[in-house]
Amino acid sequence: MVKNFLIATLCLLSTWTYSQEINIEGSVSDIDSGMPLLGVNVIIEGTTKGTTTNFDGEFILRSVPTDATLVFSYLGYETKKVNVAETTDFTIQLQSDTQALDDVVVIGYGASSRRKLTGSVSTVDAESIQDLEPLNAANALQGTTAGVSVTPQSGSPGAESNIRIRGISTNGDSSPLIILDGFQYDGGLNSINPQDIESITVLKDAQAAIYGSVGANGVVLIETKTGKRNQAAEVTYNTYFGLQQTTRELPLLNNLEYALLTNEKYANAGQNLPFPDVSQLRTNTDWQDEVFDTAAIVSNNVSVRGGSENTDYSFSASHLDQKGIVAPEKSNFKRTTAKLSINTDVRDFLNLSANVIYTNNRSQGINSFGLGSVLFNAINIAPTIRPDRFNLDGTIDLGNEVANPLAQIANTFNDFESNRLSGSFQAELEYIKDFKLTARYGFNSSNLNNREFFPEFDFGTSKVFNRPFNQVNQNQQEFYDYTFDLFNTIEKSFFDKELDVTFTLGMTAFRTHGEGLFGARTGVPRNSYEFADIGTATGVGDNQTNGSFVSEFRRLSYFSRVQFSFKDRYLLTGILRRDTSSNFGPNNSTAWFPSVTGGWIITEEDFIGTNDVLNFAKLRASYGELGNDRIPNFLFLSVLSGEATYVLGDEQNLTNGQALGPVANPNVKWETAKKLDIGLDLKLFDNSLDVTLDYYDNTREDLLIPFIPTSGIFGTAAPGSSAPTRNAGTVKNYGFEAAIGYSKEVSDNFSFNINYNVSTINNEVTKINGAPFLEGGQFSVGQLPPARMEVGQPIGYFYGLKTDGIFQNQTEVEAHPSQRELAGVDASPGDIRFVDVNGDGIVNQDDRTNIGDPIPDVTMGLNLSFTYKNFEFSAYSFANLGSDIVRNFERDQPNVNMLSRRLDRWTGPGTSTIEPRVTTAATANKLFSDYFVEDGSFLRIQTISLGYFVPEKALQSVGISSLKLYAKVDNAFTFTEYSGYDPTASTGAPIGGGIDLGFYPLPRTFSLGLNVKL
Amino acid sequence: MSTLYRNLFMACVAFSLLSCADDFVEEKPPYQLTSDTFFETAEDFEAALIGAYDPLQATYVNVILGEIASDNTHAGGESATDVVGWQQVDKMEHTPVNDNIDDVWDFNFAGVYRASYIIENKDKIDFEGKSQIIAEARFLRAYFNFELVKWFGAIPIKPEGRFELGEETSIPRSSVEDVYTYIENDLNLAIADMSLESPQVGRASKASAQALLGKVHLYQDEFILAAPVLNAVINSGQFRLYGTQGDEEFLNLFEYNAENSAESVFEVQYTGAEGAGFGCLQCSEGNVMVGFSGVRGYSGPVYESGFGFNLPTQETFDAFEANDLRRELSILDIEAWADETGASYTIGNQDPRTGHTGYYNKKYLPRKNDNLGDANLTQPNNYRAIRYADVLLMAAEALNRGNIDDALALDYVNQVRVRAGLSEIDVSGSQLTEEIFEQRRLELVGEGHRFFDLVRTGRAAEAIQGFTAPKNNVFPIPIEEIQFSQGNWSQNTGY
Repeated sequence: MVKNFLIATLCLLSTWTYSQEINIEGSVSDIDSGMPLLGVNVIIEGTTKGTTTNFDGEFILRSVPTDATLVFSYLGYETKKVNVAETTDFTIQLQSDTQALDDVVVIGYGASSRRKLTGSVSTVDAESIQDLEPLNAANALQGTTAGVSVTPQSGSPGAESNIRIRGISTNGDSSPLIILDGFQYDGGLNSINPQDIESITVLKDAQAAIYGSVGANGVVLIETKTGKRNQAAEVTYNTYFGLQQTTRELPLLNNLEYALLTNEKYANAGQNLPFPDVSQLRTNTDWQDEVFDTAAIVSNNVSVRGGSENTDYSFSASHLDQKGIVAPEKSNFKRTTAKLSINTDVRDFLNLSANVIYTNNRSQGINSFGLGSVLFNAINIAPTIRPDRFNLDGTIDLGNEVANPLAQIANTFNDFESNRLSGSFQAELEYIKDFKLTARYGFNSSNLNNREFFPEFDFGTSKVFNRPFNQVNQNQQEFYDYTFDLFNTIEKSFFDKELDVTFTLGMTAFRTHGEGLFGARTGVPRNSYEFADIGTATGVGDNQTNGSFVSEFRRLSYFSRVQFSFKDRYLLTGILRRDTSSNFGPNNSTAWFPSVTGGWIITEEDFIGTNDVLNFAKLRASYGELGNDRIPNFLFLSVLSGEATYVLGDEQNLTNGQALGPVANPNVKWETAKKLDIGLDLKLFDNSLDVTLDYYDNTREDLLIPFIPTSGIFGTAAPGSSAPTRNAGTVKNYGFEAAIGYSKEVSDNFSFNINYNVSTINNEVTKINGAPFLEGGQFSVGQLPPARMEVGQPIGYFYGLKTDGIFQNQTEVEAHPSQRELAGVDASPGDIRFVDVNGDGIVNQDDRTNIGDPIPDVTMGLNLSFTYKNFEFSAYSFANLGSDIVRNFERDQPNVNMLSRRLDRWTGPGTSTIEPRVTTAATANKLFSDYFVEDGSFLRIQTISLGYFVPEKALQSVGISSLKLYAKVDNAFTFTEYSGYDPTASTGAPIGGGIDLGFYPLPRTFSLGLNVKL
Repeated sequence: MSTLYRNLFMACVAFSLLSCADDFVEEKPPYQLTSDTFFETAEDFEAALIGAYDPLQATYVNVILGEIASDNTHAGGESATDVVGWQQVDKMEHTPVNDNIDDVWDFNFAGVYRASYIIENKDKIDFEGKSQIIAEARFLRAYFNFELVKWFGAIPIKPEGRFELGEETSIPRSSVEDVYTYIENDLNLAIADMSLESPQVGRASKASAQALLGKVHLYQDEFILAAPVLNAVINSGQFRLYGTQGDEEFLNLFEYNAENSAESVFEVQYTGAEGAGFGCLQCSEGNVMVGFSGVRGYSGPVYESGFGFNLPTQETFDAFEANDLRRELSILDIEAWADETGASYTIGNQDPRTGHTGYYNKKYLPRKNDNLGDANLTQPNNYRAIRYADVLLMAAEALNRGNIDDALALDYVNQVRVRAGLSEIDVSGSQLTEEIFEQRRLELVGEGHRFFDLVRTGRAAEAIQGFTAPKNNVFPIPIEEIQFSQGNWSQNTGY
C-alpha cells in the first residue's frame, strides 16, 4: 500500500512537469518594519519543492507551474499563500504572528501546533528568559506560568530551586521530570546556562502520560537554541555586572535593650541580674552588619549561530561569577558552560543532529540553613560581645549552639567542583514519505569533587562547633546516565485532508549509574587548608574513615500516541505507555499508563465562526494516569545491610557479621496520579487578548510512605533494620488556573503587553493506610515534630497549640483549664493562654491542632513590558496568598539576643495580648503554637528592567547590527507581613516545609548589562 | 526497489530494537549481599549467627522493666514522668499505650526474626559445623520466644521461618501451650546438636540450652521434665558457684573480672568499645540498663553517674539478713557510701511510690571505665542471663515441688546459702518450697527474674502493689500491634 502511495505521488509530480512553468523572483519583508526577512521558506504547495530567502529577503524559484500556489512560511509569522496565476509582483510582506497560534510546542516525542494542543501546556519563550536573565533557568518559570511554583532552596550562591507543578502531590519527591532536548536530565538546572535556552515548556496534565512512570509530577521540556538555516553567522555577546545586597536585616535589640530585657527575664524568675549595671555597657555589635556584605556578580556570554542550506550550527560559551552576600570569600559560585549543536540534512530523507553541553561549577559555601547557620548565630549572639571575640569563654553564656558567626566563617573551608557533560545524538530518517524513524541517544556524565576542612578550633567551652582536632573530608562521585529513544512517527491525511492522523510508536531505555568514594582524615599539617588532603594528613586511629556507594537504576518503556484532527476542529489524542523498572517489585513489575485528551475548536464551526471579538476558541479536556517512580532503589529486595555486631571471644572483641537491613516490600510499586483537566483557550479582540482557563483535579494514589509503622514481628526494631516502604496514601490537589495576556501596538513607537496568571491550590490528604498520621519537620530543640500528614488535612500542615491571647492576671489563669502538663509548671500572668481544643478541662499536647499550612491558596504572576521608540521596559512580579510560615530562628536560651518585637512584651495587666512576658523560668510559651506561625503571603517584584537600543545608524559604521544597554533590578521589593528574612524560606520538604530556620535571604541585585549582535 | 528493501530493513531494525527485552531492568544492587544469594557459604551462616546474637543486647529492656514491674524496685528517674512507660509499669497502671512495653515486643521479635532467618535457610547448603550453627540459632529463637511468652502470653509463631509482610493479619496468636511446645522443640533440637563446650566465649553451649529448657518446663510447672535437664547441667561438672575456689571473691561476681566465669551458664555480652546514641538504643553494644541504673549526678570513687532508674526499695534491702553477703553484693546504700567515701550525688524522682529510696541496683551499676560516648548507653557490664546459682535453685524447685528428691533439693539450696555466708538449714516439703522462693529472690534480685517468678507461682498479687490477677499476669499487646493486625490479634484480658 505504501508503495502504491509512493507511485501515485510520483505520478502526480510527473504530471506537473508537463504543465507550463515560469521562473519567479521576489522578496519577503516584515509588514510592519519593512525589514527584509531571511530564511523564509518558499514552497510550492503540495510539493517539497521550494527555497528560502537570502540575506536581503530575496528568492528565486525556477520552473514554477503557472497554476501553482506559493506558500511563504516563517517562524513567528503568519503563513501566507500566493496564487502564481493571480499576480506578477512577488514582493511579499508577512505579518508577525504575535499570538503564535501556529507556533510549534514540544509535547514529548513530537510536537504540536498551539492551535491543536489538547493538554494543559505552558511555555516560557527565549524573550522572557532574556528579560528575566535568571541565574537559574528554573526561576524563569516563577510567576510566568500558571500553576508552577518555584522556590529557591536558599539565597546562597549556586543554590538550586524546587519546582512544583500544581501543588504537592506526594510525601516523596515532588520535582517534575526535566527533559533537555529530548533526554532525561537529572542534574540541577543550575548547570544550564539560561541564555542557551530557546523555550521551556511545562506539561501539566495527562498530556505528559507519554512519560508514564516519570510524568506524575509534571514534565518540564527544555529546548536549547539552535542555528537558523541560510543565515550568516550571528555573533552575540551579552554581559552584565551587578551588585548584590541583602533585602533586609531583622530588627534586633541593641546592647541596652538587650541588657534590660535580659535582666527582666532573670528578675521575673527571681534570679540575680546578669547585667547589674547597664551603664557599664560599652560594646554594641550589630552582628547582621558584621556578616552581611555587598557582593558582586559578573556574567559573560558569547554565542555564534548560523546555517547554510542544509546545515545549521550553534556554539555558545558563558561564565558566571557570583559572590555571596554573607562571607563573599567563603560563599560563592562560578559556572562555566560551553555548548555546541549542529544539525544537518545528510539527504533529503536523513537528518542528523548533535548537541553537547559542558558545564563546570565551582562553589564554596557556608553553613546557611538551620540551627548553627551563620545567620542563626548572627541573630542569636548577644550584641554586648565584641566581633573579635572568636572564643566566647568569659562572655555571657549563650548555650552550646550559639557561637561567634565571624569565627564560624573564618573556620569554614570547602570547595565543591562539578564537571558535567550532557548531550544527545539524533538521527531522523524518513524511510517512506510521512514515515519517520527517530533514534536518539542522550547522556549525562558528571563528576563531583568535594573537599572540606575543619580546622582545630575552640569557639568556647562545650560549643557544638568545637574541633579538638582538625579533619579533612574528601569525596568524589561519578554519575552516568543515558536515555535511548527509538520511535516511529507516521503523519497521514485522509478524506481530502479532512482527517489528519499522527501516530507515534516507540521505546525508551534509561539507565543511570553512580559511584562515590568518601574519606576523612585528621592530622592536617599546620592546621591549614593549604595542606588539607587525605594523602598529606597524618592522623591515625578511630577518626580516619572511608566509605563508598554504588547506585544503579534502569527503566524500559514502550509508548504509543495517536493524534486525530478532524476538519481542523475536532481533536483527539490517545496515549498508552508501558514501563518496567528496576525499582518495581516482582509482584508489580509492569505499569501501564493510559490517557486521552480531546479538543474542540469552536470557532472553526460555521455556526460560530470568527468575528472581531472572538477570534479563536478551543475547549479542551484530558484525563489520564501517570506514575512516579522516584522511589529508593531495590525496596523490594532484602539487602544484608543491617547491623550485626556482637562481642565474642576471650578478648571480648567486637565481631561483625551480616544481618538484614530494612524490611523488603515485594509489592512495592510506583505512585499513580490520576489527572483531570478541563480547559478553554480564547483569543479575543483581534487577537490582542489571550485567555487560557483550566480546572484541574489531580489525585495521587499509592503514595510511597517510607518507614511506615509496621508490626515488630518483621524484625523492624533490629539494629540497622527499619520498617518497609509501602504504597499507603492518597493526596488530592485541585484548583483553577487562568492566564490572560494582552498585547497592543498602539503606534509604530509604542507597544506593550501584559500577562497575568493566577492559580488556586486545594490540597487534601484523603488516605493513609496503617498509620493515623505521619510526622516531620523540626521546631526548636527537643520539641515534638511540628508538621503532619493526616487524612482530611493539607499535606504537611502545622500541628501545634492554638493560642488565645495572654493571661492578664491570676484570676484569668485560674479560670482557664490547667496548662501545668505542658511545661511542668502552672501558667502565670503574662504567659500565653492556650485553647483547650478537645475540651477535656486540661491543656496539654493533646490539644494540638491545625494551626496553618505552608501551601499557598492562591499564586499569581503579573508581568508587563512595553517598548517606546528605542526604550524597552519590563517588570515581572509574583505573589503567594494564604501560605503560612513558621518563625524558627530564635534559639530558646535565656541569654540570646531577641527580635525587637519582644520590646512589646507583657509587663502587667493590659500591656500586651500578643507578646508573652520574658522570663528564664520554665514556661509553656516556647512550645510550638500559632505564636510562631505567621502569614507568609507576599508580593514580590522579581525583576524591573529598562533597556535602550542604540539607533542602528550609529552602529552600522562599526559593524554592529544591534546594541542594547540595560539596567535591571532583581528581587527588587517584597511586600509581606512576615518578620523573617524571606517568606519563601523553605526546605521544600512535603512534611516539614515552610519552617524558617534562619534562611539565607535572596539578594537584591542591581545590574548593568550590554547585549551586542554582530 | 530500494524503498521496499529499506522499508523491510527499517521495520526489522525498528522491531528488533523495540523488542528490547524486559530483562534490561532486572538489576541487582551492585556489590551488595541480598537475601536471594545469601546462605551460599559457611561464612554466610556464621555471619548471620552473629546477627542473631546481636539483638540479645537489646534484651536489657526485659531485665530493667522486669525489675521495675516486680516488688524489688521503684522506677526512679528524673521525675515521676521520666520514661513514663516504666513509671506506669511500676505502679501497675500500664495500658496498651506504652512505648516501653512496645520495645519489649519489638526488640525480642527482632531476635526471633534474625534467628528464624538462619533456620529457614538451614537446608540451602551443607558444611562442617552447620549443625552447631543451626542449633545455636534454635537456642536463640527459643530464648527470645520464651521472653515474649513470659511477657505477653499467646504470641504469633512461625516455626518454619520469618514472618512475611501481611501475615500480621493472618497468623493468629498461638496459645501459650503451643508457644511452649514450639520453644521446647527448638531447645531439644539445639541440645541434640550442640557441643558441650561453647565454641567461643559469649556463645551458647549445650548447658545453656539445657538450663533454658529446664526453666521453660519450670514455668509450666512441669517438674518431672525440668529436673533431669537441670540436673544434667549441674552434673556436667562445667560450672561452679563463683567465689568457692582459688582467689575468687564472691563480692566480685558482678565485676568485670568475673565476666564469663565458671558460674556463667549463659551470659549476654556487652562492650563500651563502640559509641551509641539515643536514636537507636537497641543498636548499642553496651548495656543500656546499666547507665539508666546509675546514680544521678554521681561524683566519687568506683562508679560512674547515670539516670537513677530501677531503685531497690527499703523492703528489698530489709529482706536480707544482716550477715547475708548478698546485700552487700546486690544493693548500694548511697547515703552510707557517700558518708564513707565523700561521694556526691543528686536525687531525681521523689514520688513516694516510684521515686528515690536511697538504694541502687549494685549488680548493674556503671563502674568506672573508658567506654565511648554516650557513656550512659555504652556501659560494658555483661548480663549474667543464666547463672549456675539460678540453675541450682531451679533444680531444687523442680525436685521439691515435683516431689522428686527433697534431699538433693536441700543440698542445692544449701550450696547457695553457704556461698552467701549463711548457714545450712534443714527443711523439707512446703517449708523447703518457701525457702527456695526466698532464696530465689535474694540470690537473683536486680536480675529481672522476680516478677515472673511471682507470677508463675501465683504470689504476684500479694507481693506487688496494684497487681490484679489474672490481668497483670501478662502485659498488654502494644496498641500498635493490635492495629497492625487489623483485628487478627485480640488484646489480653483486662487491658
